Amino acid sequence: MSNSKQSPTRRDFMRLGLGAAGGLAMSGGFIPRVFAADQPPIGTWPAGMSGNSVFIGIAVPRTGTYAVQGEDELKGWQLAVEHLNSGHPLMQKISPRTKKGVLGKEVKYGVADSAAKPNDAVQAEQRFITENKAVLMTGSTSSAVAVALNKLAQREKVLYVTGISGSNDTTGKDCVRYGFRQNFYGQTAAAAIGPVIVKAYGKNKKVAYLTPDYTYGHTVTKSCQDYLATAGWSTVTNQVAPLGAPDYSSYLLNVANSGADVLINVNWGHDAVLSTQQAQRFGILDKMKLVIPYQIPFLAPEVGNNLTAGVYAATDFWWTLEDKFPLAKMFVDEFRKKFGYNPEWGANNAYMSFAMWADAVENAGTFYPPDVIKSFEAGRKLQSTVGEVYIRKEDHQCVRPVIIVQGKKQSEMKNKEDFWNVLEIVPGEGLMQKPDAFGCKLGDYT
Amino acid sequence: MNADRLYDRSPRFVIELITAACLVAAPFVLPYLGAAPNTVNRILVWGLFGIGFDILFGYTGLLSFGQSALYGTGGMVAAYLLTRAGFPHVVTALVIGMVAAAAVGYLVGLVALRRTGIYFAMITVAIAEVFYFVEFNPLSDFTGGENGLPGVPTPRFDLGFVKLDFSTGWSLYPFLAFCYFLGIVVALRIVRSPFGAVLRAIRDNPLRAAAVGHNIHGYKLAAFVIAAAYAGLAGGLLGVMQAFMPPDAFMFETSGQLVMQTAIGGRGTLFGPLVGAGVWLFLQDFLQGTLGLGASWKLVLGIVFVLLVAFLRQGIIGGIRDLVRWVRHRAAPAREIAAEEAAPIVAADRHVAPLPAHPVAHAAGGEPILRASGLTKRYGGLLANADIDFAVMQGEIRGIIGPNGAGKSTFFKMLTCEVAPTSGTIVFEGSDITGRSVTDVCQLGLTKSYQVNQLFNRLTVRENVTIAALAELRGKFRLDMLRSLLNVKGLQEQVERTLALVGLTARRDVPVAQLAYGEKRRLEIALALASSPALLLLDEPLAGMSPRERVETVGLLKSIARGRTMIIIDHDMDSLFELAGRITVLQEGRVLVEGTPEEIKSDAKVQEAYLGGVNEDLAA
Amino acid sequence: MINWANFISQVFNGLALGALLALISSGLTIIYGTLGVLNLAHGAMFMLGGYAGFVAYQATGSYIVAVAAGSLALLVLGILMERVIIRHFYGRPHEDQLLVTFGLSICFVELVRFFFGSESRNVAPPGPLSGVVSLGFAIYPTYRVALMGIVAVALVVLFLVLYRTRLGMIVRAGIEDAVMVDSLGIDVYRVFMVVFGIGAMAAGFAGIVNAPVVSLTPEVGEAILVQTFVVVVIGGVGSFPGAVLGGLIAGEIISITSMINPGYAYVMLFAAMTLVLMLRPHGLLGTPGRE
Repeated sequence: MSNSKQSPTRRDFMRLGLGAAGGLAMSGGFIPRVFAADQPPIGTWPAGMSGNSVFIGIAVPRTGTYAVQGEDELKGWQLAVEHLNSGHPLMQKISPRTKKGVLGKEVKYGVADSAAKPNDAVQAEQRFITENKAVLMTGSTSSAVAVALNKLAQREKVLYVTGISGSNDTTGKDCVRYGFRQNFYGQTAAAAIGPVIVKAYGKNKKVAYLTPDYTYGHTVTKSCQDYLATAGWSTVTNQVAPLGAPDYSSYLLNVANSGADVLINVNWGHDAVLSTQQAQRFGILDKMKLVIPYQIPFLAPEVGNNLTAGVYAATDFWWTLEDKFPLAKMFVDEFRKKFGYNPEWGANNAYMSFAMWADAVENAGTFYPPDVIKSFEAGRKLQSTVGEVYIRKEDHQCVRPVIIVQGKKQSEMKNKEDFWNVLEIVPGEGLMQKPDAFGCKLGDYT
Repeated sequence: MNADRLYDRSPRFVIELITAACLVAAPFVLPYLGAAPNTVNRILVWGLFGIGFDILFGYTGLLSFGQSALYGTGGMVAAYLLTRAGFPHVVTALVIGMVAAAAVGYLVGLVALRRTGIYFAMITVAIAEVFYFVEFNPLSDFTGGENGLPGVPTPRFDLGFVKLDFSTGWSLYPFLAFCYFLGIVVALRIVRSPFGAVLRAIRDNPLRAAAVGHNIHGYKLAAFVIAAAYAGLAGGLLGVMQAFMPPDAFMFETSGQLVMQTAIGGRGTLFGPLVGAGVWLFLQDFLQGTLGLGASWKLVLGIVFVLLVAFLRQGIIGGIRDLVRWVRHRAAPAREIAAEEAAPIVAADRHVAPLPAHPVAHAAGGEPILRASGLTKRYGGLLANADIDFAVMQGEIRGIIGPNGAGKSTFFKMLTCEVAPTSGTIVFEGSDITGRSVTDVCQLGLTKSYQVNQLFNRLTVRENVTIAALAELRGKFRLDMLRSLLNVKGLQEQVERTLALVGLTARRDVPVAQLAYGEKRRLEIALALASSPALLLLDEPLAGMSPRERVETVGLLKSIARGRTMIIIDHDMDSLFELAGRITVLQEGRVLVEGTPEEIKSDAKVQEAYLGGVNEDLAA
Repeated sequence: MINWANFISQVFNGLALGALLALISSGLTIIYGTLGVLNLAHGAMFMLGGYAGFVAYQATGSYIVAVAAGSLALLVLGILMERVIIRHFYGRPHEDQLLVTFGLSICFVELVRFFFGSESRNVAPPGPLSGVVSLGFAIYPTYRVALMGIVAVALVVLFLVLYRTRLGMIVRAGIEDAVMVDSLGIDVYRVFMVVFGIGAMAAGFAGIVNAPVVSLTPEVGEAILVQTFVVVVIGGVGSFPGAVLGGLIAGEIISITSMINPGYAYVMLFAAMTLVLMLRPHGLLGTPGRE
């Protein structure tokens, strides 16, 4: 959104004049603005950092289809805040300039239930901005929420780092200058898992898709289809189901009768659990190989019956990476110590997002949003739980590896959380689309 | 705003002024109560959405669970224009959105209003779900699917000497408050208009509203469109307020929330939805934030809602009003209008000129004013009326008698076209009215007073007659929504005359519920009279009356008979023989015999029909 | 070019869906037909039956006990609801009845969410009924086939109660003319209470036997409610055979549309309802003049 180009002095005079001219019918309390020496106020700066602490607004689903994943994410953020405030060594490895807090200020946060509804998330974050002067927003499990908060961030001039968001659009056509994404997404997932399944199953296979009916579903399916076509794989059916469908029988019957060799299930959250369980009951999993191109936290335990054995999936993080990356080991240990289970990829994404933000702020030396944004865009390489990563300045997407996993058989599991075997760590550079391929046009800094 | 009173006795514009004052004061007062600007803005949007819904539900009695469809439509159209289509003017886009929603509401109403009551509610639920699905999937290019339409701009006005830029929070408040104020002003005019009066009649007794000559389908459709327009405007404002038009607007839950808020705040008050929204949003924040209840805040709200529906029928505003009334009653001993002190009919007001009846198309003498030929009505295997030939001359008072099951009431229903005959024709004043509607027939000058009272139970005596008179003066449908009820020419005169004729002038401001039975019967007759019928049918006007009441009513009927034709069914043969010039006797659905009271009294067939032939045996 | 195997399997699936809808809708239609109250909490009762059975299942591990628990719990709840709340609304306008049942449905859903959370709960089908069976044209989960049988039996039992017992006769008379039944000296309020209980039990039973098919969430009743309305409108209000016929038709509409474009299945259902409303407002098997 563009701004008036007038100098702040005249604009403020206009506002005061309006207040008087409005008179009887129209009046409002305009927040008196405090002038910084050289920069006009923007968003919640400088009001949000006037005290000893800064506030982060978190809108996460605690009820509804994605509640389980939301709770896991939330713990990642909570751990990150604790580490930031105490200057934990893990945090300092990722954000070297961090001492205690962020630029010396304590980090506080507030949590609201978005129920994966964009409207509720926007409502909650607007409150966090006006009431608590939040300097950072986060939260999403549904890409619809991520896109909505992207736009809110750009309008309110408050930074936003996404939670889980898998749609290409979040850093594609719906990208914004004030939004940043850490995790992997449709394009990179398809590009990573494609070669693996082609190698495993061969060329010229017939594929059936189960797609949830919203942008995340459509973009991931499309990315898969585009990649697999290069290996001669053809789509025999694409069953599009509404979010939260209780019964997949009609779709699954179509799939069962389609003659496909492979079933690619793009459904997410509880929908993935249900559709997979029902697919098994319709005998589909005996006839076809199941592939999960965008893994869901807690899929394996929820779906039960060891249905994930032998299944290929692409994910952002799995706790056994602790054997490969020292930072991953630190993270998994700290998380397990505090919460009693091994973190899923949502929690890892949350932690990393905050750490990257802290690093950007520390490097900018200020909370002033345009400077923080430029700090993000500087292309600094950071050490993360999966090796070296950086933010691509053209679309604010983090360039990072995609993890290919395969489900373990019950007999191979060494403990009750050992569901997946890490097969490959595919570097991110080669997976991503060209920066402008998805129509990303970042907006203004101010 | 008391929905039950048609005639607003408060000084002019008091409510509008108080509303304006509250809206202006709010941004100064509310922050001290802890209200966030965005919450207040949301309450205003819901309040505006609810005004239209209250007109539909509180005033017309149509409970629709489908308002979300129109809310979303208006919002999406406005947001689409402002974002993807690059339309520059926010206010114009909002207006277009509102018009689009009204148009869609019209089409939806055509389908949904074919049924009433529970069926109507079910259809609206289905409509809400269909709209949600359609906007989510097939139309997602226009609506952004589950992402909604982000980037909706806020209004800016360049007035030359000053630029008004409404952005968010308190800055946007004046714009929203102004829209709400406009909405209330228009709504108040609507409910105070003759149109608004008819809506309330439809709510109380749609059958009678149609029978006194109103085209109730047209009014319902108009109310539906009005509700749709308010919903569409509110939807557009939602998008502007959030800079984002969400798909949730279309969800069934949105409709449900609107219904609950209106019931909580008070239906039929226009401000109910605003109060309800305030309660809802306040509880949502309070229970989640302060009490840390998390997701179970909705449970508390659900319980509150059920309790309110059970005990406080008019919601919070109604409860406050009742409280005020109760306090007033304790303060000043009331002049209780006891139901038993029924005012007797003041010596039949011969001085009151008879209400002019409709000018008759054909002059007296010659063609009968009403002729039924071969009129038959069959219900499945039951033959209620068989092949009835019947004619009445203008100015006549005809009586109809017959034992139970003779088909008298069915006959009347066919004459007024409440029920369509299986075969046969009815000609009234020279034109064939067979198969027309009861509303049209009433407008033509043929109307009935009912055997079982069909009154508008929540209105007063005067208001009841007003409804009937309005149909007479305005025709069966008129969209005079912005006119004041007090400005309808000739209305007061007509009402006063009718009341005087039936002797209810002293009781004019008494609610129907407090009338004695005899008074209710008189009011029943007054409703039919107020449409100035040329031909008046009376179905058992004396039923259930005491001897004294009968005498009075007979006197009343004689006085109103001047200048019009009447057909009376009754079992009280003494009274009927006194009144009527000719009597028709029906038995088992057929005409048995017709003649003067003298002839009928001594007719053997009639005696046999009533007594089963005993008389004959005795005489023999 | 029709894939015949797919067509037959979808038609079969439609019968399975339809049978369940028929059972739930019968409950709704006899309540509405007798009491004149449209129970907007019916979907929530379906959900509650599932959860009641789930609790019993957790405690005993027995499917049969779960089914019994789900049904009985709802019988009791239905009777309680009628006595404590619905009874006071008979004299009030229809809209008030709709509002109170709507409010109750919200309370039920949130109550369940409070105690059980939003995550889905699983009830496993009984041992011998899990697994798959080959029907020739398709592989089908055994339990779903069994479910059709179970529901058919339940419908037959309901039919017998309504048409072959004295109580059923009174209920059907009450559907036709409650005032008359009252005038005949029969305690019509007791009849109402029993009817509400039976209707609720039908919904609860359907809820628990359906639980192994779809997992339980607090929201599972909402979608069912709307479909039930459609069935009742298509079949005719107050008509038990109408509910059965309407249910089967609805099930087939959903299935057959799914063959072509699954997304439109529910829209077609509503289109069918609108068609019936325009052409034959009292439903396929309903009595004309009922409102």
